[in-house]
Amino acid sequence: MKRGFSRVALLLAGSLALEGALGCASSSGPEIRTRRGTLVHDPLEPMNRGIFWFNDQLDRFLLEPVATGWDWVLPDPAQRGIRRFFINLLSPQFVLNDLLQGKFEGAGLATGRFLVNSTAGVLGFMDPANDWLEWKPQDEDFGQSLGWWGTGAGPYLVLPLLGPSDVRDAVGVAVDGATTPLPWLLPWYATLPMGATAAINTRSLHLEDVREAKASALDYYVFVRNAYLDYRENQVHDGKEPEAAPSREDLYYPDSDAQ
Amino acid sequence: MRSRPTLLSLLPALLLALLTVGVPGPASAEPSAREVIERTSARVLEILRTPGLALDEKRRRIEQIAYDTFDFDTMSKLVLARGWRDLTPDQQHEFVGQFRTQLALTYGRRIDHYGNEELKVTGERTEPRGDVTVQSRIAGGQYDNTAIDYRLRQADGTWKIIDVIVEGVSLVGSYRSQFQEILDRGGPQKVLALLREKNAEGATVEVAEPPPRKN
Repeated sequence: MKRGFSRVALLLAGSLALEGALGCASSSGPEIRTRRGTLVHDPLEPMNRGIFWFNDQLDRFLLEPVATGWDWVLPDPAQRGIRRFFINLLSPQFVLNDLLQGKFEGAGLATGRFLVNSTAGVLGFMDPANDWLEWKPQDEDFGQSLGWWGTGAGPYLVLPLLGPSDVRDAVGVAVDGATTPLPWLLPWYATLPMGATAAINTRSLHLEDVREAKASALDYYVFVRNAYLDYRENQVHDGKEPEAAPSREDLYYPDSDAQ
Repeated sequence: MRSRPTLLSLLPALLLALLTVGVPGPASAEPSAREVIERTSARVLEILRTPGLALDEKRRRIEQIAYDTFDFDTMSKLVLARGWRDLTPDQQHEFVGQFRTQLALTYGRRIDHYGNEELKVTGERTEPRGDVTVQSRIAGGQYDNTAIDYRLRQADGTWKIIDVIVEGVSLVGSYRSQFQEILDRGGPQKVLALLREKNAEGATVEVAEPPPRKN
């Protein structure tokens, strides 16, 4: 327990320091307006692009080749099973963050899904909770909880290895990592290969997708940045559209606010 | 088996979103926005599932349908936003054509991957200024349960698609942010040059000619 808490504290402190450092710069740099009309800035764009490039090189020369081999060996249904297994392991995170957001029904559903899928679903490799009971998976994490409480995204960030993020989600990822029970139960030499397996498996499920995205994007960095911010904002609101969002309409009437 | 939509599945989902719509058959009254989406997703799926139909022919037929269903003129204005007016009329005309080709190339490449999916319309919403958003979800296949919203605008009595929104990510918004960056750095010439280059790269895939303009 103690190890976990000190880790949380350390990561939180680091993230908050980062947020503080960025706070003064948060309204500079390129301005991104999300589909829902929120303004996000990218004050660290040159650094972010550098890390983005680094991640991409790592992907190109390490992760993608390994994932291609993985994809060659394992049939797709097996890959999807492995994916479900790892998602099932995240159930404590879903329950915790449902509770943090006061979504008691969601917490119950996530608990039920975990119990059913871990047993009838053979350790989570199958998803009978969804297929038989129509208990749909709902993804929750601490970044979404922060957003649900009203925390803004803060400046856009690209994290080494982890990819696109923002200050809110960087804090979220740190807290998610610290509150996940597995590293407390298993030694690092068990959890580290598991993490690598999850990464390789996920990547192998998206070989074509990433290739297509790179081929079609006019500016891949900007493409990912925009998609990430829109996607996360949508997740915070569980896909529900706000009743009145006049700022959202700007996207569809570019001339209306012209001088 | 169902899987959760992820950020990585957005692009193929967008592709699927573009493929699963088409133009409705001749009807007595102009179809509503919802009917446009419903009838035509059925038609495109029919093409995708026709056994023995060559891939190129499927692609050609679906592209023809897309040319009638999407309002590329409006989409071009939306993705360039205020930058639209910095283009000369000739540049604007070229941009609409290049942008349409870019979308066709991007989304026509992988149609052989699809056909096991259905599109289920789950609701609709009238936007403040008269557009209608038709909400739907993919059922079946790899991108099962992915949310896709189509935004339609009425022009001359006909509803046409002006945006596709997959899990909260808007096609128009995505292109707008990319074009914005390029416009800021290089102006309209740079945008057109980049589109020409992209389209030439992808031109190994044959793209159907758009139908001649009606007026």
